[in-house]
Amino acid sequence: MIEVDRLVKRFGAVTAVDGLSFTVQPGHVTGFLGPNGAGKTTTMRVILGLDAPTSGTATVNRHRYAGLIRPLHQVGALLDATALHGGRTARAHVLSVAQSNGIGRRRVTEVLRLTGLETVANRRVSGFSLGMKQRLGIAVALLGDPRVLMFDEPVNGLDTEGIAWIRQFLKALAAEGRTVLVSSHLMSEVAQTADHLIVIGRGRLIADTPTAQLIESSTRRDVLVQSPRAGELAGLITARGGTVARQDDGRLAVTGLDAPAIGDLAAEHGLAVHALIPRTASLEDAYLDLTGDSVEYRAARPQEAASR
Amino acid sequence: MTAAEAPARQTVPPLAVRARDVLACEWTKFWSVRSTYWTLLVAVVTPIGTGAIVAAALAHQPAGAPAPTLDPLLPGFISLEYAALAVGVLGVLAFSTEYGTGLIRTTFTAVPRRRAVLAAKAAVAGAVTLAAGELVAFTTFFLVQAVLSGHHLGVSLSHPGVPGAVLADGIILFVVAMMGLGLGAIIRHTAGGITALVALIILPATLGLLPPPWGARISRFTLLEAARQVTALRPATNLFSPALSTLVLLAWPAATLGLAALVITRRDA
Repeated sequence: MIEVDRLVKRFGAVTAVDGLSFTVQPGHVTGFLGPNGAGKTTTMRVILGLDAPTSGTATVNRHRYAGLIRPLHQVGALLDATALHGGRTARAHVLSVAQSNGIGRRRVTEVLRLTGLETVANRRVSGFSLGMKQRLGIAVALLGDPRVLMFDEPVNGLDTEGIAWIRQFLKALAAEGRTVLVSSHLMSEVAQTADHLIVIGRGRLIADTPTAQLIESSTRRDVLVQSPRAGELAGLITARGGTVARQDDGRLAVTGLDAPAIGDLAAEHGLAVHALIPRTASLEDAYLDLTGDSVEYRAARPQEAASR
Repeated sequence: MTAAEAPARQTVPPLAVRARDVLACEWTKFWSVRSTYWTLLVAVVTPIGTGAIVAAALAHQPAGAPAPTLDPLLPGFISLEYAALAVGVLGVLAFSTEYGTGLIRTTFTAVPRRRAVLAAKAAVAGAVTLAAGELVAFTTFFLVQAVLSGHHLGVSLSHPGVPGAVLADGIILFVVAMMGLGLGAIIRHTAGGITALVALIILPATLGLLPPPWGARISRFTLLEAARQVTALRPATNLFSPALSTLVLLAWPAATLGLAALVITRRDA
């Protein structure tokens, strides 16, 4: 179990984590979501005792990480898969970490086999692809057979096969009763794996909810209407109590009226309708709704950029 | 309560076992990168290779010139220059590559007691550079004396003061390596660490140029003068005694490692 309580972390004038509290329970894959710069990595670093919190606490199994003896038996973590000395072989890297926690060579071979790195174990890691480095990082995280696992953006840079492998792996770890926390800035990456979500933005908690509930609670539903006389139709819809948002392609996004009502309204006034598409919010939309106000760095929209 | 929620095994292994674990880890890291072999090769080969040449050059006098008053141990000391730089780099790299690659976060996640990591790195690099230093010191000594004896300038190992001075030659490499290690942990960049190391060794030596008696009074605290004092057959009389100079010599890496131990726990990794 991971507990974060009123955690604050400032770097000079920048507040990376701003009063964050949450608990990660065993037996689930918990997604740790937020836009880039939301404070996910900083939070994980504080949990691992790498960064000192400005205030508040973070504990693993009710202990501060810095006080743990042979911590790899309790917590496994992968923060940055590329953080390796390129000249070292995969086996030497894993062995050195294993030795620091009194873990033997047999387990080193075992985790290399588990992550499919047996055949490349004696090669220098500078020649490894990002996917292989991710596997190597996971091998290190698994060394001590820990009950708590944390992965920071583990599918970044992986191919489809690698992503599928990691998802299966995370689910299997949680099914064994372990606590699994996986960060990502993309909802689509964790939605299929995580059954619980912790969403943060600008260092603050936005949502702490089961994944299914987040989808249900999302109220964004609208109807996309395409008509050669969109202007007239828009007026009628507004008069009937609907809300119209004109799309860039001339179509109307309507809320407040459902598709049959819009179709009947158009028929009453003899207006042709070419398309009537009911839309429900995807998980991605729900996530965007949640984090829309908290994005740290947002690119200008193409037309805004062009008009300057 | 499921097995997953059961409190983690709190059987704390004894300190000696944990120390051995961290030492084994750092030992594996030390010998599993190529830079270790390159820097040690330079450290061992250059003094042995240049020692004899330096001895021949210093001993050579034009015919009819007065007999040179050469310290027969000076060539051994001079030839350590590149070796000292090489082991200094070896020391800096022990930390700077971990900070540079981000590997330090894996290291500190595995061993949250950061001073234990510093101590283990110092023990491994210290033991190896001390062994390499003594190997180099004695090999170079015998080679240099073989050259000098041809000019009737040589000295034997049994001569009073010689064993201590030759041992001190070997300690110099250990001293520079430990300073490099400390600076690598403090500065966390390879280039910056090496620059700081060279500056700390060379810049204070310019204080020796101050008008007497201040030049000697101040420069006896510098690394270079202390190193010269402990490795000379006939130490200078206006500087510290060899015993005191040995303390000065060891105080430099002790201070560097001490500062490293202070900052290593206070900064975010």
